Amino acid sequence: MDLGDDIAISRARRGDRDAFRVLVERHAKAVYRLAYRMTTNETDAEDMVQETFLRAWKQIGKFDGRASFPTWLHRICANCSLDLIRARKRKQDLYRTSDDDGGDPFAQLPAAAPSPERLAQSSQISAILVPALNDLTEMERTAFVMRHYEGMGIEEISVALGVQPGAAKHSVFRAVQKLRRVLEPVMSAGR
Amino acid sequence: MTHITEEDLVLLYYNEADAPQGARRHLRECGECASAARKLAQDLAVCNEWGVPEPDADLARSVWAQIAPQLDESRPHRYFRWLRIAGVLAATATLLLVAFVAGRASRQRTPSITAGLSKQARERILAITLADHLDRAEMLLTEISDDSQMSDERARAQDLVEEGRLMRQTLARDGQTPTLAMLDEVERFMLEIANAPERTTPAEMRELRDRIGSGSLLFKVRIIESNLRNEGQKL
Repeated sequence: MDLGDDIAISRARRGDRDAFRVLVERHAKAVYRLAYRMTTNETDAEDMVQETFLRAWKQIGKFDGRASFPTWLHRICANCSLDLIRARKRKQDLYRTSDDDGGDPFAQLPAAAPSPERLAQSSQISAILVPALNDLTEMERTAFVMRHYEGMGIEEISVALGVQPGAAKHSVFRAVQKLRRVLEPVMSAGR
Repeated sequence: MTHITEEDLVLLYYNEADAPQGARRHLRECGECASAARKLAQDLAVCNEWGVPEPDADLARSVWAQIAPQLDESRPHRYFRWLRIAGVLAATATLLLVAFVAGRASRQRTPSITAGLSKQARERILAITLADHLDRAEMLLTEISDDSQMSDERARAQDLVEEGRLMRQTLARDGQTPTLAMLDEVERFMLEIANAPERTTPAEMRELRDRIGSGSLLFKVRIIESNLRNEGQKL
């Protein structure tokens, strides 16, 4: 943790809103990046940034400096995002079970007709990768995003997720294995 | 020498210190492993093509504008915390009094204190009171899942233990076994939290969080709480 963060954190712990604002300004973009990778959606990512800093303000008295401040924020952000993903899944399950013919009619539309918005926003790779990431378990997805995209080490991930380093390592490995399986047809066509 | 496993190749790719010693040298000497490493690198490089759209330049400012008005509400003032505790104590005392009077009344075979209420009204009150109790338990369990330390959680857990015991007595009279079993499970956790040392080690916190997660306690609490709330609204 750099000195600037240190001072801002100790002031924020005493209720200094200006000091907390400094922390928001310094870390909002990094939190946004993680939130976007987790939620795969810009609007949700922005909501998650707000939620993360609200929770951080509420809990900053308990931040003990054992993990770095960014790692601590990442952990909060991952938890907020997972709550959102779970809520989304619950909603999807609800639609699925309430549907008489047992299937989501939209899921049966041909995949070759993406919306103009989707065409503008996602490349072919993200169209393959995002569903594959959605199919990972919560732990695999979070650990992979933290390792691959955020460049966090296994030790740091284990602290952020509150698990043993072995479990964090295994989650990254399982995620890589599953993603490679999905990417295999695309990759072998290009090789 | 045996070839490098896929798991170790992943560690090497990410430059993790855990990668086995001598693996890099082996990679330089073994064509088969070098080819596997190249394939892995190509696959993972594809993942890099999924970019994050650049957020608004004003992201931090707009986040601040959204959260600033909520900051005072989200961190409870000490005064309000005492008020809440006083509220819980008052509610507990009232419930105790009601239970005591109801007990005495039933022994004397005279109409109970709730005799004037319809069965439906009594069930509604019970469902809503239980849902509120589980809501507080859920909040506490969620905070423990997110935090690295416990401080005021212990006092809240103690309040919940006492509250929960009264609920269990009432449920036992009504024979609501599934909810009763869940309240038992919640009470066991609350007792542990109430009696935990103020400074818990990270390993102890991890163990507690794992147990909350492994038994899906939080999930079960959420489901039953939401069912009770719906039930209370329907009655």
